[in-house]
Amino acid sequence: MCMELQLGLALPGSDTWSRPLLKLGLYEDINVNRKKRGFDHGYLEDEFSAASFKNYEKGLVGWPPVETWRRKKLRCQVHNHMTAAENGYCGGRASNSSYVKVKMEGVVIARKIDISIHQSFETLTTTIMTMFDIFSHFPFIFGSVEENRRSFKLTYQDKEGDWLIAEDVPWRTFVRSLKCLKLIRSRG
Amino acid sequence: MLKKMAFSFPDEVLEHVFSFIQSDKDRNAVSMVCKSWYEIERWCRRKVFVGNCYAVSPRMVIRRFPEFRSIELKGKPHFADFNLVPDGWGGYVFPWIAEMAGAYPWLEEIRLKRMVVTDESLELIAKSFKNFKVLVLSSCEGFSTDGLAAIAASCKNLKELDLRDCEVDDLSAHWLSHFPETYTSLVSLNISCLGSDEASFSALERLVRRCTNLKTLRLNRAVPLDKIANILRHAPQLVEFGTGTYTADVRPDVYSDLAGVFSSCKELKSLSGFWDVIPDYLPAIYPVCSKLTSLNLSYATIQSPDLIKLVSHCPNLQRLLVLDYIEDSGLEVLASSCKDLQELRVFPSDPFGAEPNVSLTEQGLVAVSLGCPKLQSVLYFCRRMSNEALVTIARSRPNFTRFRLCIIEPKTADYLTLEPLDVGFGAIVQYCKDLRRLSLSGLLTDRVFEYIGTYAKKLEMLSVAFAGDSDLGLHHVLSGCESLRKLEIRDCPFGDKALLANAAKLETMRSLWMSSCAVSFAACKLLGQKMPRLNVEVIDERGPPDSRPENCPVDKLYIYRSIAGPRFDMPPFVWTMDEDSGLRLS
Repeated sequence: MCMELQLGLALPGSDTWSRPLLKLGLYEDINVNRKKRGFDHGYLEDEFSAASFKNYEKGLVGWPPVETWRRKKLRCQVHNHMTAAENGYCGGRASNSSYVKVKMEGVVIARKIDISIHQSFETLTTTIMTMFDIFSHFPFIFGSVEENRRSFKLTYQDKEGDWLIAEDVPWRTFVRSLKCLKLIRSRG
Repeated sequence: MLKKMAFSFPDEVLEHVFSFIQSDKDRNAVSMVCKSWYEIERWCRRKVFVGNCYAVSPRMVIRRFPEFRSIELKGKPHFADFNLVPDGWGGYVFPWIAEMAGAYPWLEEIRLKRMVVTDESLELIAKSFKNFKVLVLSSCEGFSTDGLAAIAASCKNLKELDLRDCEVDDLSAHWLSHFPETYTSLVSLNISCLGSDEASFSALERLVRRCTNLKTLRLNRAVPLDKIANILRHAPQLVEFGTGTYTADVRPDVYSDLAGVFSSCKELKSLSGFWDVIPDYLPAIYPVCSKLTSLNLSYATIQSPDLIKLVSHCPNLQRLLVLDYIEDSGLEVLASSCKDLQELRVFPSDPFGAEPNVSLTEQGLVAVSLGCPKLQSVLYFCRRMSNEALVTIARSRPNFTRFRLCIIEPKTADYLTLEPLDVGFGAIVQYCKDLRRLSLSGLLTDRVFEYIGTYAKKLEMLSVAFAGDSDLGLHHVLSGCESLRKLEIRDCPFGDKALLANAAKLETMRSLWMSSCAVSFAACKLLGQKMPRLNVEVIDERGPPDSRPENCPVDKLYIYRSIAGPRFDMPPFVWTMDEDSGLRLS
C-alpha cells in the first residue's frame, strides 16, 4: 500500500491581524443563535449543517462551482485521453484513471503524474525530477545534467505489491502493471 | 434665470445630448431628473437592459420605451449554472418575443442570458423582425438546430450569431446551409457549444468565404484540425478565432499548412477552443502569439511545460483562461511575461478528486498578483490558502474589481495557522476599494461578514458558500453593503432574523438567493405579505411547504424585486408568497 502523510502538518504560524477591526454593539443587541464554532474543528455538527451535508458522501450538488457545460466538455476530453492511452501510446492501464502517485525519497508530500502523456522512461523520469525540483534543489556535484539524472533511480510498485526498478522492464509492461512510483537515490 | 434657460431648450437638443449617453445607469439617472427629461429620454432610448426578466413585464417595457432597437434580458439566477435551479423553473423568452413581434417590427438586437429559448421563439424572431442583426444567446437552452435554420434562412441582415455555452438539441448540422448563397453580412459567428458528430464543412467553408466582413469565428469540436487551415485561408481578416478539436496524427504537411495559415492572420487578437490538444501542434500558433490579447485554454488538457512555452510567447496578453495544469511554476512565468494581464481564470482539471493532482496552490495567485500591475479580475480554483497569502495579494493588488476564489474543499482553514480565512478576505475588501464582485470560500466565521459590511462599499455581487456562524453574518452584509445588487448564498446557517430585520434592503437589490440555509417557511410568508414589491419564491422539490411545520427551513429561496407582481409560469415545485393568501400554487 502506498502511504502518504496528510497535508495538514501546520508550521508554527504568526498571529497576523487577530485584532477585530470593528467592535459592533450589535453582538449584544441581536439575540441570535450564536453557537461558538470551535476553530480546531474543520466541520461542525449543527442540525441544519448535518442536513445540508447529507449529500456529502454522494458529492455535493453544484460544488465545486464549475459550470455544468464546462464539466461536460472537460469530462469528454479526459475520457479521450484514456482512449488514447488504451489504444496505443501507453499500452493500457489497470484502473480508470491515468494518474499515478509519485513519491520521492525524503520528501513528505506525494505528487501525481499523468502517465498517459509519456512514452518513455526518460521523459517520465525527467518530468518527475522537474516536479520535485531536483535540478534546483540538488546542486550538480558531478557536472552534467545527464550524470545527475543517473544518480536517481525510478522505482515502481506493481499490482502484486512488489517494488521493482522501472527500467528493468519494457515500457508497456511497466505501464500496465504500474500502481505507484517512487524516485530514489542510486546507491553505487 | 438658469431655470428659464433649461425649459427653453427644445426637445431635439436634449435628445441629441442624450444620444451620447449609452450606459443604462446613466440613462436611468437622466430619466429621474424631472418629468420632461423622463419623457424625452424614454422616447430616445435605443438599448434596453432588463437584469431580471420577471422584474417587469414585456408590456411595461414596450409602454415606456416605444422606440428601442436592442434588448438584453436575463432569466435564471446565477446558481443555475451549477445545477442548483431545477429544470422547468422558468425564464421563458417566448412571451417577450410575442409582445415585441407586434410592437417592434424594427427590432435589431436580442441578447439573452440563462433563458429558455424554443424553436418557436427563434422562428418568430426570424419572421417578425425584418432588419434583425444580432442574436446573442448566453447559457440558454430549449432550442434545436431547426430554430437556427429559421434564423439563417430569413435574417438577411444578420451580423452576429453568438451561441455561447448553450444547450442545443443538435438535430442536424445542415442548418448552416440555410444561409442563402446571397447572404454575406456575417461579422460574428460562435457555434462552439454545438455538438454534432458530423459538421457541414463545405457549407461552413462557403459561408466563411463569402462573408468577407467576418471578424469573429468560434468553431465547435466537430471541426477537425486539418479543416481549420482551409477555413482560415479564406478569413485572414479574423480578429477572434476559436479552433475545433486540436488533435490529429502528427504529420508535417498538416503542421506546415496550419502554421502557414496562422501566419497570414495578421489581425488575430483572441484565440480559444483547443479541445483535445496535442502539444506537437501548438507551435503552429506561435506566429500570432505576440499580438494576442485574449487566450482561452480552459479546455486544453496540456501540461505545465507546454503551457509555459505558449504563455512566454504572448507578452501582450490581457486575458487568460487556463486549467490548473499551468501550476504555480507556470503562473510565475505568466507573472514575469505578461505585464498587461487584466483578467485571469484558473479552472480545476480534477474538481472532484480528493487529493491535488497538480502543483497549483495559493503561491501561483500570489505570484500573479505581485507581478501583474493591471490585474483586476480573478477566478481561481485551488486546494489551499492562507491569510498571509490573501493579505499579500490584497496589499499588492488594490485595483481588483472582481475577486472570486474557490477553495475546493468546503470549510478549508488557513493551511499554515489552521485559523479561519476571515482576516485574509477582510484584507481583500479593505484594500480593494473598487471591488464590485466577490466570491468567498474556505473556513469563514461571522467576522468575515463584519469586514465585508464595513469595507465593501462598492460591492455589487457577493457569493457565499459554507460560511458564517449565525444570522449576524447575513445582517452585516445586508446592513453594510450599500451597493449590493445580487447576493447568493448556499449552505450557510443564516435564518429568519437577519432577513426580516433587513427586509427593506431587499427592495434595493436585484435578487437574493438562499439554498440549504435556515430560513423558515413562516418567515417567507411574512416577507411575502409585508413586501408587496418583492416576489418571494420558495423552491422545494420535497412537496408543498405547508405540508411541513411552519418553522421548518425551506430548501431554496429566491427573492427579487418586481413591479410586475408574482409570475404565473411557475412549475409545481415553486411557490410564491404574496400578500393575499400567503400561499399560492401555480
